[in-house]
Amino acid sequence: MSKSITLKEKYPPGDFAIWIIIYVELVTFALLFLGYAFSRRLDVELFNGSQEILSQTSGFINTFILITSSYFVVKAVQNMKSMTKENYKEFNTKASRWLLFAIMCGVAFLVIKVTEFSHIFGLGINLSTNSFFMFYILLTGFHFMHVLLGSVILFNIYQKTKIFGYTPDDYRGFETGASYWHMVDLLWIVLFPLVYIIR
Amino acid sequence: MKKYLEYIWVTLIVLTIFAFLLGYLKYISTALVAVLLITTFLKGALVTDYFMGLKDVKLKYRLIPIVWLSVTISLIAVAYYLPIAT
Repeated sequence: MSKSITLKEKYPPGDFAIWIIIYVELVTFALLFLGYAFSRRLDVELFNGSQEILSQTSGFINTFILITSSYFVVKAVQNMKSMTKENYKEFNTKASRWLLFAIMCGVAFLVIKVTEFSHIFGLGINLSTNSFFMFYILLTGFHFMHVLLGSVILFNIYQKTKIFGYTPDDYRGFETGASYWHMVDLLWIVLFPLVYIIR
Repeated sequence: MKKYLEYIWVTLIVLTIFAFLLGYLKYISTALVAVLLITTFLKGALVTDYFMGLKDVKLKYRLIPIVWLSVTISLIAVAYYLPIAT
């Protein structure tokens, strides 16, 4: 009788330090999510009314963009895993193409978010307008900074792939940046229904 | 070649479209919020397992984001469904 055994990796992909950062970020955002959810209970009508001002369409497009960018990044990581000493240049080039698509998605997300912020601030809304907008600006603004940082990280990885900087023995830095980007996606996946949809 | 990543991407997009339509068509009832939260959990689990690659890692590391998702989404549900004292 044959028995299949799947060997599990000892540690998550990338540098372990990034996982400490990811766990801290997850807890920080969880506190903000729960702050929003429980504050909503104090004035449901205010939250529902304020939510009407937001564009669910741009929230949806941004979710689509981030999920797709995460897909591009994981395709790039697959290329890294397929490298051998003979073909690592070819796979660096392939990975760089996927990364370029992911970076373009990151930039598109930022542009849409800036447009959304301009609209909101143009209406005279700020942090002290009401509890809903305080949480909205804090949550989405904080997340915006993470997308910005993630895009810069991806761009740095992209530049390294262009000079064939990753080898089959050393692509941990690539996986580290990829893990951070997936975290940014994961946070938005919870943020989108909570802030834009649930009422 | 396995196309599982494409299936994961399609699943995530379909669940996102479902969430968007609920909001856009103003069809978000109290019961559907539970469905929406469950689909959010599923999307998060797909991202951590397949995109972050934690399905191939020791269980304790895989469980950390799953526990995070479970606790966060459960408490959001508590905040939504707990009766408001008047």
